Amino acid sequence: MLLDVRDLHVEFRTRDGVARAVNGVSYRVDAGETLAVLGESGSGKSVTAQAVMGILDTPPGRITGGEVLFRGRDLLKLKEDERRRVRGAEMAMIFQDALSSLNPVLPVGDQLGEMFVVHRGMSRKDARARAVELMDRVRIPAARERAKQYPHQFSGGMRQRIMIAMALALEPALIIADEPTTALDVTVQAQVMDLLAELRREYRMGLILITHDLGVVADVADRIAVMYAGRIVESAPVHDLYGAPAHPYTRGLLDSVPRLDLKGRELHAIKGLPPGLTHIPPGCAFHPRCPMARDVCRTDVPPLYGVAEPDAARGSACHFWRECLDG
Amino acid sequence: MAEPITEPVLEVDGLVKHYPLTRGVLFRKQVGAVRAVDGVDFALGRGETLGIVGESGCGKSTVARMLVNLERPTAGSIRYRGEDITRLSGRALKAVRRNIQMVFQDPYTSLNPRMTVGDIVGEPYDIHPEAAPRGDRRRRVQELLEVVGLNPEHVNRYPHQFSGGQRQRIGIARGLALRPEVIVADEPVSALDVSVQAQVVNLMDRLQSEFDLAYVFIAHDLSVVRHISDRVGVMYLGRIVETGTDTEIYDHPTHPYTQALLSAVPVPDPRAREHRERIILSGDVPSPTDVPSGCRFRTRCWKARERCAVEDPALAVPEEFRAAGGPAAHASACHFAATAPTGRSAPGRAVPLEGHGGGPG
Repeated sequence: MLLDVRDLHVEFRTRDGVARAVNGVSYRVDAGETLAVLGESGSGKSVTAQAVMGILDTPPGRITGGEVLFRGRDLLKLKEDERRRVRGAEMAMIFQDALSSLNPVLPVGDQLGEMFVVHRGMSRKDARARAVELMDRVRIPAARERAKQYPHQFSGGMRQRIMIAMALALEPALIIADEPTTALDVTVQAQVMDLLAELRREYRMGLILITHDLGVVADVADRIAVMYAGRIVESAPVHDLYGAPAHPYTRGLLDSVPRLDLKGRELHAIKGLPPGLTHIPPGCAFHPRCPMARDVCRTDVPPLYGVAEPDAARGSACHFWRECLDG
Repeated sequence: MAEPITEPVLEVDGLVKHYPLTRGVLFRKQVGAVRAVDGVDFALGRGETLGIVGESGCGKSTVARMLVNLERPTAGSIRYRGEDITRLSGRALKAVRRNIQMVFQDPYTSLNPRMTVGDIVGEPYDIHPEAAPRGDRRRRVQELLEVVGLNPEHVNRYPHQFSGGQRQRIGIARGLALRPEVIVADEPVSALDVSVQAQVVNLMDRLQSEFDLAYVFIAHDLSVVRHISDRVGVMYLGRIVETGTDTEIYDHPTHPYTQALLSAVPVPDPRAREHRERIILSGDVPSPTDVPSGCRFRTRCWKARERCAVEDPALAVPEEFRAAGGPAAHASACHFAATAPTGRSAPGRAVPLEGHGGGPG
């Protein structure tokens, strides 16, 4: 087991009260596996990743419980300097917005090279050569010349390749990609996702892909965890989940996306809005929007029930998962 | 156009928008131009939805802004019921504008934060007082809020008190206030969460039949566009490169760019993974300041030959399909238009596009 997140809780102090952004999230990632964390804005998918990565802003954020076991060590118990050694070298992150994640006044080759200078103690010259090699690996044409250019001289897709190169630099065991292609056009998105999948296979890395896009998930993920209001509501191998969702929220999402290959008339929208995190409904957080909700849903928080068939590794946080699974 | 439209409300011909690039302060000299829109033609029938898809920088938003007269075209005409609106001014222009309204992408920046919802939705009546008598306005605004699924009691609230999806509904209510015939919607759902997107798309569907609206629906999301559109135009670097009915474009594309674009869209079904073949385009879209000669797609096209560099392909039904008819017989600006992408030599996998998706089950 590469990463084992157990019962993670994260809160934010805001003017409107305490926002419970993550309420007991558990997930695991094996080496060479791709886990997709799917959720809408405010579901806690990015905050969970930031806590795992150790880049959560504290304050206003605060981790109030849980463990983040990475190769058996609880990262939450490490001192900041130990944590910093893990970050970048053993796990790395790719962000949505490459332009604001890169230093605008430093040539990209120098930024890439800095990884080797800081973590590996290389000379500037060697580091620069390694940077060009890396840019070649992520298929940036004319890498030697382009290493001298600044971030604004690159297109969105090329910048995202530089982010990937930076994440790969120290050959980490785990990469967390937070909406890596959301800002890109579809044809460029396809290039970048392809590259990421190929490199993951080659380096046998674990990948956590955070996204709201059901299409991207179906394309690349092995397993999927669906988040809603700070909890995982369903977790399953990707084929099982798309074949027969075991949570009404997942079903709702699948029914609400228009599909290129199926032109239907009306989309089945989920009624209402996701809850504010300062006022999460009691019981099942999804109950006010759920077509299946009954009395017990308004009072009892559903645990992540084991969904025995067809795979023991499936879970659904719905009291009536069996009904949902049967459609 | 691919097929005649019985009752066109909007006809666009040779639409061009160039932004001059100048050098020097005192003696400004034009050194080039950003060819944002470079010759676009289409027609929009009454009560019909025309979807325009394309990637960022293809000029689709500039087209939208010209349709509602936020931007003056460099050349070409936009005829509303036969009258060229690009030549109108003053009162005549104002009268026409009533009938063509716009819904913007970003519901966070397109509503004035200091105005109440009632003022925002009712503002068109200040500009066109003839549309509603003063005493009747509040009632009309409340009716509009109800039509778009908002609580009419909330007329005195401010935009920040609403979620993104609700704000987009406010924007739509404002667009409806003058009972226009045409609504130009520029990426109306792309800023919204998935579960909320469907609500707004369904609302637009319903309003269309209720008010007999014609939509120009501009988006980069090909699935949403297919869902809502009767006809679709695919834009690349300032031009429409292929246009036809939604089935013609999505199930029988003949332009290589459309084929690549469609193959790149992830389908939310993991079973599609195995038998799906992607066309991965190499490189980036060229800059609109430096448009390639001949066919503007040739620099990324795996079929490109010498002819493509010298001869600009016209948007017309390709010869070989015209006689045979069928769904492949629609306008496509390619010298080598074909139903399946063949003759591929670029690195990567080879293609049969028919293999993916399998069509509706």
